[in-house]
Amino acid sequence: MLRDLAKGLPGERVFLLGNEAIARGAMEGGVQIAAAYPGTPSTEILETLAQASKHLGLYVEWSTNEKVALEVALGASICGLRAMASMKHVGVNVAHDSLMTAGYMGVKGGLVVVSADDVRAWSSQNEQDNRFTAKQAYLPVLEPSNVQEAKDWTADAFELSEKFNQVFMLRTVTRINHARGDVTLGKLPKKHRKGVFRKDPSWLTHVPTTARKNRPLMIQRFKKISQAVNRLPYNSLELVDEAKLGVIACGLSYAYTLEATKWLGLDGKVSLLKVGTTHPIPEDLVKRLLSSVEEVLVVEELEPFVELHVKAIAGEENIKIKVHGKDLIPLIGELSTRKVTEALAELTKAKLPIDFSRLDQLRKETAPLIPSRPPALCPGCPHRASFYAIKTAAKSVAKNYGVEPIYPGDIGCYSLAVAPPLETVDTLISMGASIGVANGLAHVVRAPILACIGDSTFFHAGIPPLINAVYNHAKITVIVLDNLTTAMTGFQPHPGSGFTATGVKTTQLKAENVAKGCGVRFVEVADPFDSRGAIDIVQRALMFEGPSLVVFRRKCTLMELQEKRKRGEKVVPYIVDAEKCKQCGVCIKTFACPAIIKKDKNYAIDDLLCTGCGFCAEICPYEAIHLRGKEHGERI
Amino acid sequence: MVREFNIVIAGVGGQGTILMTEILGKAATIEGLKVRGSEILGMAVRGGPVSSTIRVGSEIHGPLVPEGKGDVLVGLEPTEALRNITYLSKNGIAVINTRPIIPYTVPLGLTKYPHIKNVLETLKRKSRSVIAFDATKLAKEAGTPVVVNMVMLGALSGTGKLPIKNETLKKVMKAHFSKEMARINIKAFDLGFEVSRNLAKRN
Ligand SMILES: Cc1ncc(C[n+]2csc(CCOP(=O)(O)OP(=O)(O)O)c2C)c(N)n1
Ligand code: SF4
Ligand code: SF4
Repeated sequence: MLRDLAKGLPGERVFLLGNEAIARGAMEGGVQIAAAYPGTPSTEILETLAQASKHLGLYVEWSTNEKVALEVALGASICGLRAMASMKHVGVNVAHDSLMTAGYMGVKGGLVVVSADDVRAWSSQNEQDNRFTAKQAYLPVLEPSNVQEAKDWTADAFELSEKFNQVFMLRTVTRINHARGDVTLGKLPKKHRKGVFRKDPSWLTHVPTTARKNRPLMIQRFKKISQAVNRLPYNSLELVDEAKLGVIACGLSYAYTLEATKWLGLDGKVSLLKVGTTHPIPEDLVKRLLSSVEEVLVVEELEPFVELHVKAIAGEENIKIKVHGKDLIPLIGELSTRKVTEALAELTKAKLPIDFSRLDQLRKETAPLIPSRPPALCPGCPHRASFYAIKTAAKSVAKNYGVEPIYPGDIGCYSLAVAPPLETVDTLISMGASIGVANGLAHVVRAPILACIGDSTFFHAGIPPLINAVYNHAKITVIVLDNLTTAMTGFQPHPGSGFTATGVKTTQLKAENVAKGCGVRFVEVADPFDSRGAIDIVQRALMFEGPSLVVFRRKCTLMELQEKRKRGEKVVPYIVDAEKCKQCGVCIKTFACPAIIKKDKNYAIDDLLCTGCGFCAEICPYEAIHLRGKEHGERI
Repeated sequence: MVREFNIVIAGVGGQGTILMTEILGKAATIEGLKVRGSEILGMAVRGGPVSSTIRVGSEIHGPLVPEGKGDVLVGLEPTEALRNITYLSKNGIAVINTRPIIPYTVPLGLTKYPHIKNVLETLKRKSRSVIAFDATKLAKEAGTPVVVNMVMLGALSGTGKLPIKNETLKKVMKAHFSKEMARINIKAFDLGFEVSRNLAKRN
């Protein structure tokens, strides 16, 4: 439902998602090539650019992973085009190797990397403050405080990147990417550049001599930037005469700080430094603030990054001042107006505007009435059926070993199988780690080891550890859960989908062919909805002497339903025949499709939720479940 | 111009919470208001809790409604409303769909869903004003249970507190939906508006 933002007119006011604003900013900044790998909360940036690509003549792609995405952007920048790579925080780890060298090289065409840091790990395996990554690579960081700035600063970042000859990082947090706000659009550039590749090994070929030559240049460039940030409009200092307290507010924290000071009646009573370039910080402005107040509070999300720099400046300049930060602003969870309000109240002894402890009490009191509501695989999801077969097969083979099977897991919709009753995700670390960890386990324990990995994840990071298993004789079974899409992040295509980010048809890679090419000698394809066949294949795979791989292939049901709706086809739901149902509960206890409901003792199927996959009918021991209208249990 | 008006919308993945937020935000933008909002997607779309915020006014900055500052809490599901009750201000209004959505963990015996009466009573005890009704039933009346979000949007407006005009909201709805869907959604909106307005008068 993202709109074609290429059509927005300058001066027009529109209501945008943070990520749409960033994409529009990139268009206004003259981006010509954009590459990304999906990941919450960054995904909609590339999706928006893909939509605009035709109109604006941009090249936009979903890359196989973030490292490739960055390299695609780097390739374009080397040829003089403005380019962008966007990713979630953990994606920057994947791209880190090339990012470090890119920092040494600098740019020709402006190059912007968006790091979307998922604070509070709303949909991530960890939290990460990538300003530290930026620091290590000498990359300047812009951190917008609202959706308008997200657009404007993204556009500026391209210009700045060229001006200072360095890769720029736009660091956002979830509440910027997935914030919404009214935004005034700017102009789109008229001219497009033509890229040219000029050989220059002393710049582009990073053998040790080049690295040694480029390092002092990088440091020089960074010094220049450190000077310039004091005058850039992303930072601003409001000194209040006789103020005792100074606040340094970074990125989105600035918005919380404005609200908190107002709420406490402190607006106009504290000196305030807004920091939009959190790396390098505007040292001159910091010094001016430090020498005009008695105490300072640094407000920032995740780690004490700016705080450490401010403390270093105070020490260096010998300014005797107490610098507060993470002693008062929690290291855990997202920031909020409340948290900043409480920190400021503690420092200034101002009266809290409302009694927060009453709210905490209320939360405690109501908690027993609120059911936990974990997310679940959709009704009719092929992954549920796959895991049912995988588990059944693994349990039967595990008897020979006398131990439980082990399921090193990975990241995607299928991670939800960690919950009962499937419970088939024993580890989850990073993308691709299912197979990597399985390699390690195989050399330590004797048990059936089933590394379960999604298709998009397999192409992203699953291939090197698969090759490793072949090379080093790790007896593991890899299960590729192929639903033909990257479902978790919102159905982006990948190398196994057969079309690109802009809908162009392309070669459809098959995991089974990749596995064969990697030297795996047992490779088979199963249909999740044919459980008997699938169980048999997995059993044989587990009994095979070397590494084996089974692809479970079925289109993601949500996608399938969407397509059906478009074609005007109706979904025919299944029903439970109350007379035949013996209330054994097998369907819920072993399978737990959310469409199966229990009313008192009776089982039924919610016909709004049921997708008509028919799997529950297959596992019901009493043949009590059948297609509506097929009263004799015959299946079609 | 309104200085600060804060809405928190809580529901379950698939109920259309986000679309409601978008329509509100677009309408507010058309009316020239400063708008901020936020939403949580990700894992939440697979049937987990979803909440979003929408704020309008000259004095707002951040995307989140500060705890204790919500003017209206819209609950598309009763226990999800309760989960967000601390966002409501002392004088805030809770607008609640009384129709429960039972998590899949309940039939598995892993969680208990509370008595709905208990939930509603607690909501009433803990907020100054509650407008509660079966919005899912009204959505079905409008044509399909899917439009429960627009029933609730109508109900939000029916409180009489929303600083955005119905006609602007409907204009955005018309631009968003196909002709037939717009008709059903607007009918849902009107049904929600009426019920809520009547209940609000009684409060
Ligand atoms: C390095 C990195 N990039 C991106 C993500 C976000 N992410 C999590 S799982 C996933 C892919 C899921 O696709 P797939 O493996 O096909 O499984 P599906 O959700 O379709 O079942 C992505 C992109 C991540 N966690 N780590
Ligand atoms: S989106 Fe697709 S893959 Fe993900 S849980 Fe739903 S049906 Fe399964
Ligand atoms: S047929 Fe059974 S398993 Fe499939 S979606 Fe319907 S209730 Fe769920």
